[in-house]
Amino acid sequence: MSNLLRTEQKLQTREKILIQTIHLFAKQGIQRTKTTDIAHASAVSHGTIFVHFKTRDVLVKESIEKIGKTITDRLHALTQGKNSLQEILKAHLLSIQENENIYRCLLLEGPSLPTECRTVWVGIQSAISFYISTALLQEIEKGTLRLMVPSLLFNTWIGLVHHYLANQDLFAPNKSVLSHHGDKLIHYFLELVAPLMKG
Amino acid sequence: MTESCISCGMPLRIPEDYAKGDVTKAYCQYCAQPDGNMKSYEEVLSGMVGFLQHTQGIDVNVAISMAKQMLSNLPAWKHLS
Repeated sequence: MSNLLRTEQKLQTREKILIQTIHLFAKQGIQRTKTTDIAHASAVSHGTIFVHFKTRDVLVKESIEKIGKTITDRLHALTQGKNSLQEILKAHLLSIQENENIYRCLLLEGPSLPTECRTVWVGIQSAISFYISTALLQEIEKGTLRLMVPSLLFNTWIGLVHHYLANQDLFAPNKSVLSHHGDKLIHYFLELVAPLMKG
Repeated sequence: MTESCISCGMPLRIPEDYAKGDVTKAYCQYCAQPDGNMKSYEEVLSGMVGFLQHTQGIDVNVAISMAKQMLSNLPAWKHLS
């Protein structure tokens, strides 16, 4: 087998392992997913996992990075040509909704993951906040919103969203929380900040 | 085209994202000095700490620790780890 073909096969196996890892995390949670589960789902030997990922923690971190990139790339695509805070919030929820189960796992299990994984999560939230802050600043410049601290606006919004996501059993048992409540959350949040928009 | 900035990891999607709009550069507009050269580690670290505080209001010491960790994974700064 040529070296080029061998390298390509290695990359494909690596990618397959990452995809199956994310799939299993979404299905059964991060802490509960064993590397033997991942090997079985990826149709590779257990040892092969560690050929591609030095430790379980490295695999977890790279999986979270992949999820983060998926969400932020999607958010970027959805925000093209959109400027209003409402449009950006809608894009934000849609980018999470498409990855809702795995996002919920990260939300609930994040604090117990290795520090490196926590850093990746913080990076994801900062990227999202950047889009929301940009929309906020544009609306402030247009005079449709008063001056607000971007981080506080973001933390208020994400606090609301995360509360609903973390308590799926209360708000949308066995369903997508964001498809059921997303529009309402956006509407309510904009109503909350609306008084600041008037005169 | 480079996919992300080697200094801060920011996606490089359009020419304007690149340092001075030059798509042959491997770093972004935020990691470039006015003359187009890449900023120093200390400058980029300071910028990233500010970014974390601006976007999420994170405690400054936590932001410093996380920013150092983020940079340690990036091509421009891996050698410093």
